[in-house]
Amino acid sequence: MTRRYVVRRLLQLGPTAAAILLVGFLLIHLAPGDPVLALAGENGDAEYYAFVREKFGLDEPLPTQLATYAGNVLRGDLGTSYVLGRPVSDVIAERLPATLLLTGTALVFSTVAGVAIGVFSATRRRRWPDVTVTLATLAMYSAPVFLLGQLAILLLALRAGWFPVQGMTDARSSATGLSHVLDVGHHLVLPALALAAQEVAAVSRLSRVGLLDELRRDHIRTARAKGVPERTVVLSHALRRALLPVVTVLGGRTGQLVAGAVVVEVVFGWPGIGRLLVTAMQARDAPVVLGVFLLVAVTVVVANLLTDLLYAWLDPRVRYR
Amino acid sequence: MAARRLVALAGAAALLLTACAGSDNEGNETRPDARSSGAPAKGGTLSVALDSDPGALNPAITTSGGTHTASELVFSGLVELTPKLEQVPELAESWEVLENGALYRFNLRNGVTWHDGKPFTSADVKHTFDTMLLKLHSRTAASVGAALSSITTPDPDTVEFRFKQPYAPLLQQLDVTEAPILPKHLYEGTDVAKNPANNKPVGTGPFKLVSYTPGSELRFTANREYFKKDLPYLDEVVMRVIPDKGNQVVALEAGEVDWLFGTPGPDLPRLKSSGKYDFITTPLNPGGSNCIMTVSFNLDRPLFQDVRLRRALGTALDRDQFVDRVLFGQGRVAEAPISSGIPFAHASGLKGMPEFDRAEAERLLDEAGWKRQGGGTRTSAGVAGVPDGTPLAFGFTHFPTFSAYAQLLRAQLTSVGADVMLQPLEPPVFADTVFKARNFDTNIISYCNGVDPEIGVKRMYVTSNIGPVPFSNSSAYRNPEVDKLFEDARTTVDPKARTQIYRTLQEKLVQDLPYLWIVETEANRVFPNTCKGFTPSGHFAEAASCTT
Repeated sequence: MTRRYVVRRLLQLGPTAAAILLVGFLLIHLAPGDPVLALAGENGDAEYYAFVREKFGLDEPLPTQLATYAGNVLRGDLGTSYVLGRPVSDVIAERLPATLLLTGTALVFSTVAGVAIGVFSATRRRRWPDVTVTLATLAMYSAPVFLLGQLAILLLALRAGWFPVQGMTDARSSATGLSHVLDVGHHLVLPALALAAQEVAAVSRLSRVGLLDELRRDHIRTARAKGVPERTVVLSHALRRALLPVVTVLGGRTGQLVAGAVVVEVVFGWPGIGRLLVTAMQARDAPVVLGVFLLVAVTVVVANLLTDLLYAWLDPRVRYR
Repeated sequence: MAARRLVALAGAAALLLTACAGSDNEGNETRPDARSSGAPAKGGTLSVALDSDPGALNPAITTSGGTHTASELVFSGLVELTPKLEQVPELAESWEVLENGALYRFNLRNGVTWHDGKPFTSADVKHTFDTMLLKLHSRTAASVGAALSSITTPDPDTVEFRFKQPYAPLLQQLDVTEAPILPKHLYEGTDVAKNPANNKPVGTGPFKLVSYTPGSELRFTANREYFKKDLPYLDEVVMRVIPDKGNQVVALEAGEVDWLFGTPGPDLPRLKSSGKYDFITTPLNPGGSNCIMTVSFNLDRPLFQDVRLRRALGTALDRDQFVDRVLFGQGRVAEAPISSGIPFAHASGLKGMPEFDRAEAERLLDEAGWKRQGGGTRTSAGVAGVPDGTPLAFGFTHFPTFSAYAQLLRAQLTSVGADVMLQPLEPPVFADTVFKARNFDTNIISYCNGVDPEIGVKRMYVTSNIGPVPFSNSSAYRNPEVDKLFEDARTTVDPKARTQIYRTLQEKLVQDLPYLWIVETEANRVFPNTCKGFTPSGHFAEAASCTT
């Protein structure tokens, strides 16, 4: 049953991707603004601009451009970046690892830390540690990512000197092996924390509420009556089902993390997809923008599918048809 | 044959001066002892902040500032320009200007090799021009390309440029920014745009590319076979992509980078007072040099056809305030249509440039038929082409990044009774709206004049350049006399005569005021005072050295 469900969901990817690409293509091309400016610079003459338009097929009518693009995508070719002059798939592939590292770390960290804070808070309900944590998480949730990033740079990097302010590696070091990994890890801390902050707050609130709800149930009362230690009651009996709301939002959180990565990558000079998207949009580099749209859409769809499957694993009563 | 031989000796002496002193850091604000004490230290790594990822590293097929900033250390031009725009030999050892400027003959430097060890010859020069610069480098294609007849290579050490008519600006257009030379043996017979060498460049310049991690960093190592003796001093240059300028300053202060190409105005006083840094103030940038923030009037609209109104609006602008409040002192009031960064063409002391005088502005507006109704917006009374009672209200189109200019301009013009509506537009949309649709009243553009008026000045004024081309003649100014003067300047090789033509031209422009020239912008390069020997652009780090 589950297999059929997965196959059906994966088959839905095709129409979703096609719709995303169509809407994206029309949005980019119907919006005012001519990519030839980014391609050709400021000082050309009319002949030169006409030459550049023809070279990139920008002089073709929009339906022709769309047909050409759709045909290329069906053959697995996402096109060539107007500005970089290289295949879009290569351009995205070389930036992808940095973004995966950043968003993956933020996702794992926000989940683990969020749940831990939620448990801490729920088990001290309405006492001062719970109130303090609640206030702190609300503040974290309200603070925009760019503000947190700048504060982290000023306080933890520039003033305390604990972390580097930008980049993925130390410019003056050509470290390899383990020292390279440690160097990247050192550079990852602040951007990952800044990106994860809002998610930590959201997850901690959700897991706190879920756990409080669960701790009121009969089976928990029974477990306590039987003398099961409180630690086991909370972590083994209550937490698993309390995590359901946290898992529910997992797919959506992936999308939010990718959106947050756009800001964090600019603030911390992190060489990922987010920054690529910003520069491509500014230059009206349509093939790159559409390539990134496609990647993000597929990621969110797959993340939602995984969420559904995880849901069934956490709660055996859930069945997919 | 009228021949003026430009003897290489003078050029070579200038080159030696540039190379040995590292730089004269023209116009800089460095403390003299930061550069002049002792011999330059050898070795070390210089970490440089870049605003944007270069994307590709072939400066012959684009004018993108990102690509040029990142790649100019790798390549060389036939001629190098000093910060004062004097020409000194680079790949060309000497040159002759023949047939009254219709033929240029360059004798190339012997013994120069590409970074891969192959010899550099005249065939490389011809190939670069024919397949890249004259087709894909917008500035060189539009100016040199339009005037050139042919390039010939009589022997491996000689290259000749023949023009249809005498062509004066060529020597200003052969530096590494306008005409970098690339290796024929890597590009011949390939699709230039897709050649892998665009990302693994091989040049003749002071540094060789080691690695390029897109979006992150570029690493360069010293070219120990460089044709300029003893240079470079540094072992390595690393360029980091840090898009946010504020974060670049933070990285500088944290010691993670050593060189910024620009400093945000609000940070400048703090960095200067810290005593840790030196500065080079310059109008030169790889993407565009000698830029003037310029207000255009849409002269196709009846409202702006009376020069008295244009003059009145110019007189109402206190341009000192733009220097202080918008540029934080990084620039100067423009005193002529051509930038002071092109000394031979810039005309100082022009009569008729609007000077701030609010009372005079009010008087001129009254005289032009724009009358005050109480204290508010003026309305027309007897203005040709404008119905009586029309308010003096118009749009002002600008990039969002220029909103500080727009707001100050609106405040200043409101005080004389003009109602200015601000219309911020992203650059590609701005270009469409202003140049294609011509749907605007006034706008502000950073017109970069380049290193010769033929590159970045002429495009703003000649009648043939009105139309859909981005950043062309925005005002739609038409004056056959001015068109003729630009043509004369292009074909007049005698420097004094050319200077006089540009002076006459600027007198006409100031008389007609198709634009208002507001401020000349400058950038401040900043670096720790333990480093010295920089030039503002091009091979900026070839003679740099740092002590720890």
